Amino acid sequence: MESLAPCLLIMLAYIIRRLIQGIAVLLAVSVICFAIFQFMGDPVLTLAGRYATQKQQEEVRKTLGLDKPLYIQYFIFLKNALHGNFGMSYVTHIPVLGLIFERLPASIELAITAMIISLSLGIILGVVSSLNPNSIPSRIVMTGSLFGISLPTFLIGILLIMIFAVALRLLPPFGRGEVIKVAGTWRTGFLTSNGFSHLILPAFTLGMYQLAVILRLTRGGMMEVLREDYIRTAWAKGLSRMIVVFKHALRNALIPVITIAGLQFGELIAFSTVTETIFQWPGAGNLLLTSIYETDHPVIIAYVMITSFIILSLNILVDTLYVFINPKIRYGKHD
Amino acid sequence: MRRLALFVSLAFLIIGLVGGSTFAKTQKTLIVAVGAPPRTMNPHGSDADCNLGVMSNIFEGLLHRDTAGKLGPGLATSWKRIDDLTWRFILRKGVKFHNGNDFTWEDVKFSLKRLKKPYPVSEFLAFGGIIDSVKTVNGDPWTIDIKTPIPVPYFVQNLHQIFIMDKESTEARSIGEVGKYPIGTGPYKFVEWVKGAYLKLTANENYWGKVPPIKNVEFKPITEPSTRIAALATGEVDILQDIPVELFDTVAANSDLEIVTRPARRAIYLGLGNKPGSPTNNVKVRKAMYMAINEDEIIEKVMFGHAFPASQIPDPPTTGYNSEIKRLPYDPKRVKELLAEAGYPDGFKIKLTGPNDRYVRDEQICEAVASQLAKFGIEVELDTKPKAIFFPEVDEHILDFYLIGWFDGSCDFGRSFTKLLHSVDVEKGYGGLNGSAYSDVVLDKLLEASAEIIKPDLRAKALRLLNEVAMEEKIAAIPLHYQEDSYAVYKGRGIKFTPRADTWICFEDISFEK
Repeated sequence: MESLAPCLLIMLAYIIRRLIQGIAVLLAVSVICFAIFQFMGDPVLTLAGRYATQKQQEEVRKTLGLDKPLYIQYFIFLKNALHGNFGMSYVTHIPVLGLIFERLPASIELAITAMIISLSLGIILGVVSSLNPNSIPSRIVMTGSLFGISLPTFLIGILLIMIFAVALRLLPPFGRGEVIKVAGTWRTGFLTSNGFSHLILPAFTLGMYQLAVILRLTRGGMMEVLREDYIRTAWAKGLSRMIVVFKHALRNALIPVITIAGLQFGELIAFSTVTETIFQWPGAGNLLLTSIYETDHPVIIAYVMITSFIILSLNILVDTLYVFINPKIRYGKHD
Repeated sequence: MRRLALFVSLAFLIIGLVGGSTFAKTQKTLIVAVGAPPRTMNPHGSDADCNLGVMSNIFEGLLHRDTAGKLGPGLATSWKRIDDLTWRFILRKGVKFHNGNDFTWEDVKFSLKRLKKPYPVSEFLAFGGIIDSVKTVNGDPWTIDIKTPIPVPYFVQNLHQIFIMDKESTEARSIGEVGKYPIGTGPYKFVEWVKGAYLKLTANENYWGKVPPIKNVEFKPITEPSTRIAALATGEVDILQDIPVELFDTVAANSDLEIVTRPARRAIYLGLGNKPGSPTNNVKVRKAMYMAINEDEIIEKVMFGHAFPASQIPDPPTTGYNSEIKRLPYDPKRVKELLAEAGYPDGFKIKLTGPNDRYVRDEQICEAVASQLAKFGIEVELDTKPKAIFFPEVDEHILDFYLIGWFDGSCDFGRSFTKLLHSVDVEKGYGGLNGSAYSDVVLDKLLEASAEIIKPDLRAKALRLLNEVAMEEKIAAIPLHYQEDSYAVYKGRGIKFTPRADTWICFEDISFEK
């Protein structure tokens, strides 16, 4: 039996290695961003105004530092970024970090709601359909999940708006509704019924794909686990259906589900752009799209860096936590 | 675990249903859904009409345009041109900014000077560049003279969109603050802005003019067209700007909604290079291409009837618009003759570049033009791209044949011409949007001659002539159509709304019928 100390050391080494990899990835992302800016259009053209002469345009270019060679621009960016300074938005002249952090609460609330919906519904439906895989309701659920996986988000969003907002008039079609300021720039829509009703359609739209994935994962895992000997033993012992299914089977089937869910949470925050656009949700994804239209480079790069950072951190966190969930996994070169 | 999950999902359902039934609007706030969100609250930070239109509720210029586009007094009660370079204004007394500060000539001087700052302030650099000095006359602080370095005949035409800011509070605050919390003199005061979500305004009870009838108003940008329609159909918004042409019938079929339209100021046209050696250097070829385009078909099939044929680039309110210019007819026989005469009986190859996210159905118009020209052997290579990539190419003047739209905020064809069709001259700043570097000495001379005429009616005559020569003789560009401005209004709340020529939404002009 290994003693605890070397085990911890190996883990520490693993974490450090992952962190170094993470930094390399972030650097690569920033380089790619800069490269893409070259093909995204010239911010100076709009910023100088429609009637500006070429001379005036050059003046603006100089003030923005865009006349310098690309690699120098990049190093200036890097230097400032290391000091936590991502610059000012070209358009609003507000420091971009403030701009993004002002929008993040809306995105995070949307992502959390989407996550709750997809986890709860996904697991419940997954379990139910695994118990009687051939029953008609199970088949309906499985067919439905195919739609969830294959229909593009914008179509789901528009369909939901048409059905629940326009035809049935149950839910509002867009926006965030009433929000309450809780702390600093954090405005929440959770605390008013109006804000909550605005959350439902976009959260379903955003969570639909996750829901389908989680449902299928749960179902697959459950069907596998339910065939295991220890479950048979549990049945034989005469334990109640509830206890067998939820305590013994589900707990073991859930490990991959939780992993995937953890990893995808970051993506829900980062890739909610489409959903946010359809529902005019005032989140960070919407800001990204607006900034792309406005060729507001500092906002775009800061957004991409922040979301890469979130996703990377969640990845590292989930990988590290694995060891606690599943002791069979070892970190080190010798495995 | 199961219970918890069940509880959560039930809770969602219940709150959803309850919440859903209470979302209907109770208070009388007028909400307008616009397609393009305002970019900044800095009144000089964007020269786009979607931004200026929003700003015009909070800020005012020295002059003001009414719904029809006619220029009238604003913060200045009267104005006249003293000589070539000097314009005199009498300022309005007793006007207060929203923060209580008095409006003075210092604010005018400050605001006009602010236009010159390349960054991070102004998208009106060009206009800032033609302001030489702002001075009081004989020590009277309510009479000022503004001087320009060169004669600028259209100078006052622009003053309705050059907004006057409060000197003291603007200097005291950071540019970020100024761009977030606007302080103006206009009929509405700023309440709250969440970029991309809403802008709330409330009536300025201390307004020097008529206090607007509707107290609380809100702009809601909804970029996705189908969501915009859904918002209106559910009564979440009262007025919607820009009905997507492809959804027009859906809106028309909805009995809760009323459609209001007017011809837009913006003309869509095709720019055409005339580099020596290129087929389009020959005016016969240009004419043939013009006559090969069946504009009626484009309006009917591509624009679903929501456009008006154009025979020139400026629109009727613009100085230089010439009602005598007629569209060349669609005439296949004549096209073939002209091409044969020009030495291209079997046609030629040309690349058509255009934006695909700027104008109504821009990409589809390009496709239609390509297929119409193909009938005469003119093989068009299509190259449509996002505006962020398209406009820099226009700026580099590297295109042969391109689709672009234009209208002039200052209603002056002379100004448009220098930007669109004048030979490229970096020193003078001419030809900035002349994407194909089109160049014609005669037209350039005509324009320069017109700029020296001070008498407004004579100058207008000169511009009409310039327009006629450009369109009929030189075929400097191929005009296609004017777009249509469209609005949908939610019936049943008795909203009285007349769309403005400049597409600005000015809440002071809107009222509820009693």
